[in-house]
Amino acid sequence: MAAALLILHGLVAVALLGAITHQMLATWAPSTARPHSFFGRFRAVHAAGYANAIVGLYVVAALLGAVVYLYFKVDVQPDLERDRHWHALGFLDLKEDFVAIGLGLLPAYWTSWRKPFADEFGRTEAVLTTILGFIVWWGFLVGHAVNDIMGFGS
Amino acid sequence: MPALIFRRFTLAFGTGFALFYVMARAWGLALFTVYPSLGIVLLGMHRSRDVADPAMDFLAPEMWWYGWTATATLGALVIGSIAALFPARWSRWFLPGSVWVAPVLAMMACVYLTIPWFRQ
Repeated sequence: MAAALLILHGLVAVALLGAITHQMLATWAPSTARPHSFFGRFRAVHAAGYANAIVGLYVVAALLGAVVYLYFKVDVQPDLERDRHWHALGFLDLKEDFVAIGLGLLPAYWTSWRKPFADEFGRTEAVLTTILGFIVWWGFLVGHAVNDIMGFGS
Repeated sequence: MPALIFRRFTLAFGTGFALFYVMARAWGLALFTVYPSLGIVLLGMHRSRDVADPAMDFLAPEMWWYGWTATATLGALVIGSIAALFPARWSRWFLPGSVWVAPVLAMMACVYLTIPWFRQ
């Protein structure tokens, strides 16, 4: 059960990572000319159209992570502590903090991308997207490293 | 008009959540404590090694993250509701900035609170 949830959590995280990265690049480096390169096509998306999907994926990924975290605390953390992986546990602690702060930001992020409010106060939606993007990338990389640490790291 | 009120609520909620989360994290204000190995939830913040034996910390690890998040949600709901009642002109220039400054500061504070892990 835990393995299935972890795989599902990872799959949702991959989708979220793709969506938020598309939106971040489209927000900060909008394509002005006809896209010819891979990077040009990657950022040539309608950024606002990603907001609903990102909110949904973030909530689902966080919920799945919260459930998997229960298994981690009982079955995995004692082994990491025994093997003195303190840095990995510190980074994972930061992941849980950042993800929680990101959850609190979601309503503001969502309304910032809505039609009447987008661009109302300069770049609020762009900055919120960047913060969420950082959180998602941090969570993905740390989660991946901790998931694999007893393999290649031990 | 309801959209504007909801907008103020969400901006204040995001600001309040970040601040309350750091306060809950720093001062141990978890609304509840989860013991995953025992399958129980206790109101408030508890440490198994404080009430039983240092060995209990290993046998019955406690989890506060859910409680911290719940505390921050409650605090943010109060802040958001208050902000929604204020006239729009009071919050027009404050909230859009605070909604991203507060989370960035909160994340920096969380890095500071996590330093003990890196000193072991």
